Amino acid sequence: MNEVIGIIIAAILCWLNFVIVDTYFGLPEQPGVKGARIIGENVEKRGGDIAGGFFQGNIVCSPDASAGTLIASIGYLLLGIPGGIIAAFFVFIGNRLCADPGYAGTVGSLTATIIIFICSFAGFTPEMFIVGMVIAILTIQGIDHKRASILLGKIAEKFNRHA
Amino acid sequence: MFDLMYNTIFFASYGNVYGLSNIAISSFDVLLAYIVTIFVSIIFSLILRIPLLPSKPYRYSFDVSAIYPTPIIAAGVFSIFLVLNYTFMYNGIVLAIIIGILSALFVKYLFDFVFPKPLDGDEGEDI
Repeated sequence: MNEVIGIIIAAILCWLNFVIVDTYFGLPEQPGVKGARIIGENVEKRGGDIAGGFFQGNIVCSPDASAGTLIASIGYLLLGIPGGIIAAFFVFIGNRLCADPGYAGTVGSLTATIIIFICSFAGFTPEMFIVGMVIAILTIQGIDHKRASILLGKIAEKFNRHA
Repeated sequence: MFDLMYNTIFFASYGNVYGLSNIAISSFDVLLAYIVTIFVSIIFSLILRIPLLPSKPYRYSFDVSAIYPTPIIAAGVFSIFLVLNYTFMYNGIVLAIIIGILSALFVKYLFDFVFPKPLDGDEGEDI
C-alpha cells in the first residue's frame, strides 16, 4: 500500500480509537488530578469547552488511550501481538503510578492491537500507525486548543459524558 | 549493501503476528495459552475472594477485581515470557497456569502495597 494513503487512513483510525475509548471511559467528565483541572479551566477561559479541556488535561497528565495506542503500535512493530499486550500491561503500571484507575489506557491499547492486526491483512504496517497516532495527537493537542476542545465537548455530549 | 535497519523493520512489520520475537510454539498454542492464563487468573482470584467487579462507579474505581487488573497482569507477564521464547512444558500451558495463579496472589496480597491508592480520591495531591 502507498505509504501516504496508509498513514492518512491509520491516523483516522487511531483518532477514532482513542477519542471513542477515552470518551467512553469518562475523561471529559471530571479531571483525574489537579493538573488536569487547571488545564481544563485554562482552556475554558480562552473560549473552549470545559469537557474538552478536561479531556486534554487528562491526556497530558496520565497515559490514557492516546498513549496506549502509540505504545501498542510500537510494541506491535517490535514484538507482534504479544508486544501489544505487553504495552497494555506497561500502560496499566504507568496509569497506577499517575493516580489513574487505568481502564481507558489498557482498553485503548488492546483495541489498538486488534485494529493493527486486522489492518495488517490489508497491507497496513505498524509504522503507519505510529506516525498516524502522532498526527492524531497533534490535531488534539497541537494545532488549536479552543476548536479541538469544542469538538471534543460535542463528542462528549453525544456519549452523555459531558462535565 | 546491508540496510540492517530497513530489513529489520520490514520483516518485523510485514503483516505478521510475531514481529521480531522468536516464538517457537504455533499460533494456536499461543492462543490457547492466553485463554488458559486469563481463565486461571480470573478463577483463582475468585477463589481468593477478590470481587468479580470493581465497586461502583465502575469507571472511577481504584479497587482491584477479578475482571480488571488480574487478567491484564497475567497476560502481560505471560507475553514477556513468550517473546523471550521461554514456554516451559506442554506448549506453555503449565507456564500459563503458574502465571495465572501468581498474578491472582499478587493482586490479592501485594497490589495495594506496590500501587497504593491516591490519598484524596478524585483530586490527587495538593500543590
